[in-house]
Amino acid sequence: MSGDQVAPTPLITSPLHERQLAMGAKMAEFGGWQMPLEYANGGVLKEHAAVRDGVGVFDVSHLGKLAVRGPGGRDFVNGCLSNDLGRIEPGQAQYTLCCDDATGGVVDDLIAYLRSDEVVFLIPNAANAPTVCERLATAAPSEVEVLDLHRQFAVLAVQGPSSDEVLDALGLPVGHAYMAFVDAEHEGVSVTVCRTGYTGERGYELVVTADGAVALWDAILRAGEPYGIRACGLGARDTLRTEMGYPLHGQDISLDITPVQARLGWAVGWSKPSFWGREPLLAEKEKGPKRVLRGLVASGRGIARPGMRVLIAADFPVGVITSGTFSPTLRKGVALALIDPSIEVGAEVSVEVRGRREIFVLAAPPFVTPGVREP
Amino acid sequence: MYPDELKYTAEHEWVRVDGDSVVVGITDYAQSQLGDIVYVSLPESGDTIEPGVSIGELESTKSVSDLFAPVSGVVTERNEQLDSTPELVNSDPYGEGWLIKVRIDDPAAVASLLNADAYRAQVAE
Repeated sequence: MSGDQVAPTPLITSPLHERQLAMGAKMAEFGGWQMPLEYANGGVLKEHAAVRDGVGVFDVSHLGKLAVRGPGGRDFVNGCLSNDLGRIEPGQAQYTLCCDDATGGVVDDLIAYLRSDEVVFLIPNAANAPTVCERLATAAPSEVEVLDLHRQFAVLAVQGPSSDEVLDALGLPVGHAYMAFVDAEHEGVSVTVCRTGYTGERGYELVVTADGAVALWDAILRAGEPYGIRACGLGARDTLRTEMGYPLHGQDISLDITPVQARLGWAVGWSKPSFWGREPLLAEKEKGPKRVLRGLVASGRGIARPGMRVLIAADFPVGVITSGTFSPTLRKGVALALIDPSIEVGAEVSVEVRGRREIFVLAAPPFVTPGVREP
Repeated sequence: MYPDELKYTAEHEWVRVDGDSVVVGITDYAQSQLGDIVYVSLPESGDTIEPGVSIGELESTKSVSDLFAPVSGVVTERNEQLDSTPELVNSDPYGEGWLIKVRIDDPAAVASLLNADAYRAQVAE
């Protein structure tokens, strides 16, 4: 067998791929999947505005889907992932982290849907789904199974202040509490409607079996017409989440960045007797992190990008940009950066933007008022 | 999409000749590749520019791209409208989204730029 030539792995496509091509989507690779970056006649700014002011629908089927089930499934997950599943009831979801047990670094951030004491459904990031699955499967007792259902489900995110009207027109449940989910049916296909999202707006994420995805997508776009709904790509998803200061795995959190550094201690059940990374994370919390994730807002027209250096005084490096973009809402640059913890919110720093120094001010995200919890 | 009366560069700029001056912009292909443009930085009137040298930047929500001088000459005007409405480069790249006007040193230099057919062929590759 010749090992000289390795064919590139073909990108995985969503069940909505043909629909997206027909809508003129510009595609890009995300975690091994080919997904829409933006749509023809749309673009990041229009798609961003649709979500902030009206409603938009995203295909986020590249996100992973894992089911953990069996006697004690809930307790098993609770002993692995960081957040405390004892804080929520069946029918609620929770933001949580899968940390490395040895270092506390973030393997992935995910949403856990608590279905019962036996069943927890997990939504990890696309690229990390196999790793999370493997780590859980390796640790699971024999009576608990960990299923990788990545291709069996599609995920559609309906986000924006008019989300309720759109789902209501389809006969889907709306108005449940933030982070709660309800099982429903659309044209004979099961849909889980969860009040979650990654945009900072009121909205829902719909988990639907892959064979029902096209009908649901079409129905959402039709029902959303009176509200000016737009199909939105992952470009707008990134500007929306950056305005909220939501971390992105691979940039703001990673195996090399801990939840203590990323100021995600709220997603850690510190009083739990065990979870992956408990010892190193408790030690780091006690000692204080050597760097922390902070928000930055541009004073001028500079736009910071990941990897750029953050400086104080004449030339003293104090950190690095992890996410940065133009905020369509504020019409200026916003960023997240891992920075020396002694530099406080309100301090002025400069960012090295292609040989120039651009002034930014340290700020506490969100940069834009979120609407996620509005009743 | 690529008007026949314009000249083009391999870096996706267009040049419109007007006497001993040229108007410079970026092509429809370039604006489409960049996505929504949110910031345009341009040289000032009076600046001398040289081909192949970066004279500004076009920044979109996703990325930033250098603007290269297509010809040598002196900048006589910059499109001030783009400071507040950079999206004109997306919506009207050959019209209101023009970038700078340049008094050229050597009108013959423009003749060596790509014609519309040659540019179309490059973009199609």
